[in-house]
Amino acid sequence: MMNILTLVAVIVFAMLAIFPIWWIFRTSLMTSAEIYRYPPALLPSNWLFSNYEKTLQVFKFWKYLWNTMLIIVPACLAGTFTATICGYAFARLRFRGKNLIWTLCVGSMLLPAMVTLIPLYIGWTRGLGLSDSYWPLILPYFCGGGAFNIFLIRQFIMSIPRELDQAATIDGAGYFRILFSIIMPAIRPAMIVVALFIFIGLWNDLLQQMIYINSSDKYTIALGLTNFRGQLKSDWSMTMAATCLSFTPGVLFYLIGQRYFVEGITLTGMKS
Amino acid sequence: METNNTLQRRRRSRAYSSEARVAYICLIPAFIGLFFLTYLPLVGVLGISLTSWTGLKSPEFVGLDNYIKLFTSDPYIKDSIVATVYFAVLSVIGSMLYSLFIAMLLNRKIPARGFFRAVFYVPYVLPAVAIYVGWSWLYEGNFGFFNYILSELGMKKILFIADSSYVVPSLSLISVWLAGNLIVIFLAGLQNVPGVYHEAAEMDGANGWQRFRHITLPCMTPIIFYNLLMSLIANLQVVTPALALTNGGPGNSSRFLTYLMYDQAFVNYKLGYACATTVIIFAILASFTVVLFKTSNLWIHNEGGDEK
Repeated sequence: MMNILTLVAVIVFAMLAIFPIWWIFRTSLMTSAEIYRYPPALLPSNWLFSNYEKTLQVFKFWKYLWNTMLIIVPACLAGTFTATICGYAFARLRFRGKNLIWTLCVGSMLLPAMVTLIPLYIGWTRGLGLSDSYWPLILPYFCGGGAFNIFLIRQFIMSIPRELDQAATIDGAGYFRILFSIIMPAIRPAMIVVALFIFIGLWNDLLQQMIYINSSDKYTIALGLTNFRGQLKSDWSMTMAATCLSFTPGVLFYLIGQRYFVEGITLTGMKS
Repeated sequence: METNNTLQRRRRSRAYSSEARVAYICLIPAFIGLFFLTYLPLVGVLGISLTSWTGLKSPEFVGLDNYIKLFTSDPYIKDSIVATVYFAVLSVIGSMLYSLFIAMLLNRKIPARGFFRAVFYVPYVLPAVAIYVGWSWLYEGNFGFFNYILSELGMKKILFIADSSYVVPSLSLISVWLAGNLIVIFLAGLQNVPGVYHEAAEMDGANGWQRFRHITLPCMTPIIFYNLLMSLIANLQVVTPALALTNGGPGNSSRFLTYLMYDQAFVNYKLGYACATTVIIFAILASFTVVLFKTSNLWIHNEGGDEK
């Protein structure tokens, strides 16, 4: 009895949670007349997938997706790799100044990102002349992409028994060999998690893309959609079609990496 | 004997120095990141905030002028602080309650738990801008879904994000809806609460509420703290809805602090002034964090023997 009540409650809340997405989707398939009808229908009477064709003529989704990937792919690869080697050094190697550097690293985790925004903007655009460019969005990920990722990798490596490394050392493997052939395979889930976090971070960002990217042929999905909404304030079916198009890559990515998402988020909550 | 010892020591120190060298090579990215992307900009913010830099001429030192101006004659800062704190408090309380509640539901014995977890989590992986644009249609003043519900209930229509007294609660509701990651963390925490405790309490005749209050809640305090801290820091930095939807309006009702900073620096090019605002935001964030940490030992329950 109790369980049936729980299940009913879960189903009701799940429907409430998914409802906004359904409402957006069903609007994207309607004619304007149908959108403004009272009472509004839960389902479109005709599923007008032609709205998407119309939208794609104005909203350059594929271009924006490509541009977004031009930022996300290198950032994910570089961020994951550098976070891994830094995490390895902190987890396994002895060196002078380790405590100090680690403290600086952990300290920077508590520093909110918006604090450094203006000086970094000045540095990238004035100092290095990189305005209207993706580099200011990508290059930070060549530095581990933030202390949080390094922290995550370090915690994960520390949970791997040292005996594995020691056995390899006896076999004559150097530190880099150990990192690449023993540590990296063992922490693959953590590396995927870091890549996913970098993906989500860039995926959700609007502020930084807004200040570093100016020309419209360089627009990302976030910028393109913001701009599109500004132009088409009242054409709700097209705006919602563009919104749904922007949803799809994230949903696909999530379905593919779902297991790691859950594992990774759990990990961050438990290990910190 | 002695030579043997020195030999050993030398070998060990050589091994150490090569180990250290590898470590420093591995850490080059972190060094660059910490210096150029974190601590130097942090000093930069403080430095620039003492100048009247507009980005055109070379910066001119003005002392604390920017701060004085911010506190005495800035038309926005007060509204900004109110809007930001109001938004953060509503969002944090709402998303903590919502996500703990959903996590507890999902922690019961239900079929297809993985599927339901995915449903609650999915908003989190959608691009934030698309979320806000999508919800702006649900909040639309005449034909939006929420106004349909209101008119069915016989109530007056509300403009939601176009009404200065409703915009912040409306945006907070979206941020509660986005709290899927908190649900996943809470759920993992709940699954770590030892089942024996519940069984023992049940045998002693404790009811559901008593078990929640005296077993689940104390065991969950470290995770509640983590989620509280993370969502507080994230929500105090809110900027995307203002950039994507409201432009700080109507009036100044959603001119969140980070948006104010953006506006000063990148629309009006008052870089020095904007850096002073940044320092104020940082101080507000830091004081919330400190208060949270200071009060944490009053309510965080540490299980003895569970520590490493």
